[in-house]
Amino acid sequence: MADKEQFVRFEKVDKSYDGEVLVVKGLNLDVPKGEFLTMLGPSGSGKTTVLMMLAGFETPTSGEIYLDGDPISSIPPNKRGIGMVFQNYALFPHMTVKENLAFPLEVRKMQKSEIDEKVSNALAMVELQDFGSRMPLQLSGGQQQRVALARSLVFEPRLILMDEPLGALDKNLREQMQYEIKHIHERIGITVVYVTHDQSEALTMSNRIAVFNDGKIQQISTPDVLYEKPDNSFVAQFIGENNQLKGKVKSINGNSCIITTDSGEDINALKVNINNVGDVSTISLRPERVAINSTEQFENVFEAKVKELIYLGDHIRTRVEVCGNDQFIVKVPNSYKDSNLQEGSTVKLSWKTSDSRALDLG
Amino acid sequence: MLKTIKATFLGLVSLAFVASAYADITFVSWGGAYTASQQKAYVDTWSKGSGVTVENYNGGLGEIKAQVEAGNVTWDVVDVLPDQAITGCDEGLFAKVDQSEFLNDLVVPPVSECVVPQIFWAYTAFYDKAAFPGKKPKNIKDFFDVKKFPGKRGIHTWANALIEMALVADGVKASKVYDVMSTPEGIDRAFAKLDTIKDHVVFWSAGSKPLELVSSGEVVMALAYNGRIGAAILSEGKNFEYIWDATVLEQEYLVAIKGGNEAEALEFMAHASSAVSNAEQAKYIPYGPMRKSSIGIIKKGEPWFVKEGGNIDILPHMPTTPKVLKRAVIGDPVWWADNGAEVHERFGAWKGS
Amino acid sequence: MNQTESGPILTSDGIPLKVSLKKAERINKIRAFLLVLPLLAFILVTFLVPIGDMLARSIDDRQINTVFPKTFEVYKKWDRQGLPSEEVYKTMFFEVKNSEGYDIGKASTRMNYSKSGWKSLLKKSKRKFKKIEEGPYKEQMIAAEKRWGDIEYWKALGQMVDPTTMGYYLNAVDLKYDSSKNIVQQKENRRIYNKTWFKTFKVSVLVTFFCLILAYPISYLLATLPLKYSNLLMICVLLPFWTSLLVRTVAWMVMLQQKGVFNNLMVMAGLIADENRWQLMYNQTAVIIVMTQILLPFMVLPLYSVMKTISPTYMRAALNLGASPLHAFYKIYMPNSIPGVSAGCLLVFIIAIGYYITPELVGGKDGQMVGNWIAYHLKTTLNWGLCASLGAILLAVMTVLYWAYNKIVGIENIKLG
Repeated sequence: MADKEQFVRFEKVDKSYDGEVLVVKGLNLDVPKGEFLTMLGPSGSGKTTVLMMLAGFETPTSGEIYLDGDPISSIPPNKRGIGMVFQNYALFPHMTVKENLAFPLEVRKMQKSEIDEKVSNALAMVELQDFGSRMPLQLSGGQQQRVALARSLVFEPRLILMDEPLGALDKNLREQMQYEIKHIHERIGITVVYVTHDQSEALTMSNRIAVFNDGKIQQISTPDVLYEKPDNSFVAQFIGENNQLKGKVKSINGNSCIITTDSGEDINALKVNINNVGDVSTISLRPERVAINSTEQFENVFEAKVKELIYLGDHIRTRVEVCGNDQFIVKVPNSYKDSNLQEGSTVKLSWKTSDSRALDLG
Repeated sequence: MLKTIKATFLGLVSLAFVASAYADITFVSWGGAYTASQQKAYVDTWSKGSGVTVENYNGGLGEIKAQVEAGNVTWDVVDVLPDQAITGCDEGLFAKVDQSEFLNDLVVPPVSECVVPQIFWAYTAFYDKAAFPGKKPKNIKDFFDVKKFPGKRGIHTWANALIEMALVADGVKASKVYDVMSTPEGIDRAFAKLDTIKDHVVFWSAGSKPLELVSSGEVVMALAYNGRIGAAILSEGKNFEYIWDATVLEQEYLVAIKGGNEAEALEFMAHASSAVSNAEQAKYIPYGPMRKSSIGIIKKGEPWFVKEGGNIDILPHMPTTPKVLKRAVIGDPVWWADNGAEVHERFGAWKGS
Repeated sequence: MNQTESGPILTSDGIPLKVSLKKAERINKIRAFLLVLPLLAFILVTFLVPIGDMLARSIDDRQINTVFPKTFEVYKKWDRQGLPSEEVYKTMFFEVKNSEGYDIGKASTRMNYSKSGWKSLLKKSKRKFKKIEEGPYKEQMIAAEKRWGDIEYWKALGQMVDPTTMGYYLNAVDLKYDSSKNIVQQKENRRIYNKTWFKTFKVSVLVTFFCLILAYPISYLLATLPLKYSNLLMICVLLPFWTSLLVRTVAWMVMLQQKGVFNNLMVMAGLIADENRWQLMYNQTAVIIVMTQILLPFMVLPLYSVMKTISPTYMRAALNLGASPLHAFYKIYMPNSIPGVSAGCLLVFIIAIGYYITPELVGGKDGQMVGNWIAYHLKTTLNWGLCASLGAILLAVMTVLYWAYNKIVGIENIKLG
């Protein structure tokens, strides 16, 4: 019996389609049983290819994939027992909803009564009891999505793969479906590998997120760590809003360092992804971690010029020029004490060393 | 600007006027070497020949009937088979013509009042000399005798001439063929004779096909249009030999379509059917003139057939020489106009059975 | 709002909403109608009128009633036992003698369909009747042309009494009227049409079937290959389309005849003996081979365009759900390709059923399709009534097929792309 922590295991997996470019490079990844793992990344980052290799529609060029301890590279997709929800649902258009759900069960030569029971359970799970005899094209996008989900679950697979399943839905429906999928996952405790390029979707649903770029995992972590402690500037950029200040490493002191920006200011930052004095670095700083005209003590305090105010109801998005960067964003809560900000006025910005992360150049 | 337009307009009008001094008729025939011979013999030699547009068709009266019924006649002179010359004249598709000039000069009387004479062509049997190194087939009996001369026979997909040949092969005298055919038993007799070669037959429907069949050895003997055989021997140097027995002579006529440019059409037809034109055509294709006097012209002019490197005697390739006529059947278009549909259906049934 | 709940809804200027809506829509309807008007007129002139004309011709039988009106009047009294009375002969005599123009020619063509020989009988009679001055006419007519004494000719006239006839349709299915207008079988040796119908359908069905079998895998390949390969393959499929039909047909002859390329190869390879060469040309096999090749693109194109729209994720989904590739293909891919299959089959069948030139060239004695007979009667015998009835039956058969198809599969399931 394999380790529960290594339910799905990628071991040094490479993939190339044309023999010239590697779309997946030396991938090592473990997915524990019951986890909701999201692979997040821009298009072309290799995340879908990883999913397809897991499903069996692509074969690794080298390396091996294990499912529950067994190598699966040589097992055809129809024998893997992995459920999958496709980007455009891939519901069979010539079959009713019920027939769609019954298909994987019929293939497994189950009894008719058993099939009926499982199908109606699955329909109940996605709250579509009354839609069994409809054709897929008679359903709305959200309903089709739920049918696709039910179909991938109905034969009780060991693992579910989802390939941008919510991409075709509008914003409200998408958010609603995110919760539904999350809840179903929590209820039945199945292992899910989810692919998306939408970071808020990833943050909402996942236990862990693997950020892909350029065929490699840049960082794999829980959503909060990923957001608050990005390992490199790609991750910092890709997830959430982010201010960047570029400069050179002036000195390193244990876990912290001082970066001199191009316009000459010294910033105290956390040493994350730099090695030597003199290296170029990008400091990453979340907008909500910058205080404006604060009376508290901070390691970093700078004068800034307000360039633009955008009223967003609960907060005011304030663009300022600081340390030579005029695209610096500060989110100012819409409370009485800060309501006297004016465009063109000078303010005092301050933040902690631990919130300014000195990363690679990016 | 206005002046230019005016000048152009006047120019066009005068151009149209000049053009109308020439004949403006469409002459429709069968195409190939046959139409080429017509072109050289009497289209090019006609004073208004440059105004003649020559088109091809595949025979039949369908297009002509459609044109006349729609009142939109675009064909003026058409080269037709004799039974169609009768049917078309009866149906009022063709204009009547003055036949006094040639009436007494014809080998057979004209089939209707609407025609001027063109040529005799013939269905005749032939073979490749190489196929019979020993004894060679001499008559139509041999053609129908697959024991004496084993091998496939090429025949056409319609009944004309086959009925006549079958009866002659069965012992009917050539001159009595249509008397026998006019009785139901006569037709039965012909089909019974056809039955004897049915399993040894390859059918053709395009005129060039029997020559290919014989050349390639697909069949040992075939029926074909004599002009095609002649052209293959004369122009391509093929080693073919005619079987001038029970040769079925068919007449070919020109007619003017009613409602077309009749005046010019009749003028053209008078030129085309003159003794000289009839003879002239034989320079280019070995079909027999219908006018007696044309045969005289050819005889005097031999070697008549035009060929690069020296002309050739044409009479041995003609279906209308006395030697051939003696053993030939002169096709009776009246009989075929009466009975064609019925016999053709029966022939279709025979083929398919 | 002052309307009651049950009353009609009014617009703000007091007109009932429905009336107002209709008015507003009318202008759109007129515009739409005007837009389709040219096409409607075109279809009317090029399609509906000719078809109407054809249907009318298939039952029209007035050609001779207008030429011999009086004869038909007195003919009705004849008991059809012995020869008709002097009165019938006399009336006929004058109507033939005094006929003008081409009416009698047309009538004789029609009469010849009922009994071969009428054509020359009337033509010769018209010439000879000029010499007959006074009655009694019966004997003189028989003396002039002895066929006037043949009762069969007179009986045949009886079939033409009515201004409309089903005779052409009967003719087209090997039946006919006897002299007293009962429907009887055609003489055995003239029964040709039923056999031809059967052969035409058989060939069309077989050609459609072989086209489908050959086209399906090719189309599948075309639809699933990357574009740069599929384009090349598509050109290969369409290439025969661009060469002349006749050239292709002749090429097949060269390939398939007994001393042709294929047989030569077989003999050279020692697979068959020289004297046992296969008969592949001039029979039904040849018709089917050649027509299949010619009509193949008509099957490939609709199949391809439908298959192109079948998302490859369906197959992936089916595999993922546990189906074997074969099962997935059978259960998922094939049902989704049905619209293309239907369109292709219908298209090929309709074209095949009207084919006649190619079958005649390569089919030898088996090359006679219904189309050949239509062409023959259209061009040679000018029996357009029979052509029309053959055509109308073809049309009816296609309509029935279409109807049956609609019942079974549903016409909305047909798709050309």
